[in-house]
Amino acid sequence: MASHRVGETGLSGSGPSNQHMPYAVLQGIGLPSTNFINQQGSSFDFGELEEAFVLQGVKLGDDAKKPFFTTRPAATLEMFPSWPMRFQQTSRGSSKSEEESSDSGSAQNTDAQFEPESSITNKALEQVLDQNQLQQQQQVEMMASDTSRTRPTPNQQAKSLRKGSPSSTSEKILDAKTLRRLAQNREAARKSRLRKKAYVQQLESSRIKLTQLEQDLHRARSQGMFVGVGGGGGGGGAGGNISSGAALFDMEYGRWLEDEQRYMSELRTGLQAQLSDGDLRLLVDRYLSHYDEIFHLKAVAAKSDVFHLVTGIWTSPAERCFIWMGGFRPSELIKILMAQLDAFTEQQLMGICSLKQSSQQAEEALSQGLEQLHQSLADTIASEPLSLGDGTTTNNVADYMGQMAVALAKLSNLEGFVRQADNLRQQTLHQIRRILTIRQAARCFLAIGEYYNRLRALSSLWTTRPRENMIGDESSGQTTTELQMVQHNHTHFSNY
Amino acid sequence: MHYQTESWGSYMSSRSASDPLERVQRLASENAVVIFSISSCCMCHAIKRLFCGMGVNPTVYELDEDPRGKEMEKALMRLLGTSSAVPVVFIGGKLVGAMDRVMASHINGTLVPLLKEAGALWL
Repeated sequence: MASHRVGETGLSGSGPSNQHMPYAVLQGIGLPSTNFINQQGSSFDFGELEEAFVLQGVKLGDDAKKPFFTTRPAATLEMFPSWPMRFQQTSRGSSKSEEESSDSGSAQNTDAQFEPESSITNKALEQVLDQNQLQQQQQVEMMASDTSRTRPTPNQQAKSLRKGSPSSTSEKILDAKTLRRLAQNREAARKSRLRKKAYVQQLESSRIKLTQLEQDLHRARSQGMFVGVGGGGGGGGAGGNISSGAALFDMEYGRWLEDEQRYMSELRTGLQAQLSDGDLRLLVDRYLSHYDEIFHLKAVAAKSDVFHLVTGIWTSPAERCFIWMGGFRPSELIKILMAQLDAFTEQQLMGICSLKQSSQQAEEALSQGLEQLHQSLADTIASEPLSLGDGTTTNNVADYMGQMAVALAKLSNLEGFVRQADNLRQQTLHQIRRILTIRQAARCFLAIGEYYNRLRALSSLWTTRPRENMIGDESSGQTTTELQMVQHNHTHFSNY
Repeated sequence: MHYQTESWGSYMSSRSASDPLERVQRLASENAVVIFSISSCCMCHAIKRLFCGMGVNPTVYELDEDPRGKEMEKALMRLLGTSSAVPVVFIGGKLVGAMDRVMASHINGTLVPLLKEAGALWL
């Protein structure tokens, strides 16, 4: 099919058709259409083009600037990598404009063939940030139809990476050695494409995060200053100032929650759409690395304000009921999952039970360690006489300060416990991912997310629940309002 | 769990002052499960409870009760590359790591086989 198109466009080494051809060829060969990365190494294009000209017998006078795919939504299934600046368009959303601007864009390509990485990601970032993910579908369709269009792109100056392409190769004489070499080149090219894709995606997501963090930090700092000026008072009284580390974490956590909802809906649609295991794996791994992110954020926050994490102020009230060492209890989560999901194989069931047991043992060990910390701290604080019998306490400042210093050192161990607890949580999630199949893991993570959504919903219902009147008829009024409350809650829950 | 405190004297008299890391290694290979700890450290307490809870009987060396404990502590810090030397666990003479590594290996199911292999745990 691809070759037909190629024939129609009458390839003869001119620029536009060359652009067409690799893609068409690729379609014909059946390579994944996502792999259009303009790498800076020469090995990448080689495999495909070499194959292309050998198989198609067409002269390639140009280097392979692949058809341009503008958008690279960061969080989608098909990850189209960014393209060099000259190919990038300013508007998106319509396939027409895409082609046109790519045409005009390529006209400017006279010199260096490859953009530096940073500018690629710059442009790609702008694209990504504005990009609606639904356009992904449009992209696919557009690309499929692209090959049928002739692209009147001007010929590009080629610092050709291609081998010489004599027309003598138009006959299809392929010996085993060539075939093998071609296959190896193809494989190597594909691998390096995948690597680059992953790297670029990582870079881009880090850049987005960085800019967001910078904004939040700026906001937090300005907020912090406000609070310091207005709130006044001694450091951190009850309901007093929240530390800047804590405020920053709260903001980051809020954003993390929003992202989580997005990833959850991706998983949900992915499961419903019966995606292939490979695609689903991408989603699941992204969801998991999202969790890795929050653990990292918590580790940073623990350094500046461990009490904020431990007291659970950053979570919703209902979640706070269950908090253990600054977060969820892994074994509780496993119990919930075991009840929710069915159809485990024997081996999986054993794996999950053993995971439950080991996480329970680890939790127990950490809890006992923490208990010893409490005991030791209490002993230290009480080590200086609290009362001298006549109601006074010791006046020895040096001893008192010494006692405080020891207590401070002990208190600092709290951070270590929260970090180990988070480490336990993280390891448990990863182990769940390892034990289950990809579909089970996807359902599992969705279930976890949904569970916490419900806890948060419960919390908001709780804070907005109707309270009975204090004045007036207490007895009957109370029961009626309570009943109303219960019904109100029930109706809400039935929606979940 | 048994604490090696009484035999410090015999160690000191019979052996010349060796490199602290060597000493650590030597002590670590003498028992199936060896934990280097500090008696006041709560994380060390946690790790001890973890092994006891699994039915393992680890050998514990309290570095604050050893005359050469300070050097061993520094050697362990260099070995681990962290600012906290303890707790650190050796199983079958091989370094497993600090608390986070031990817990990670317990969760991913590699700790128990390791213990069985070293003879510290039976079915």
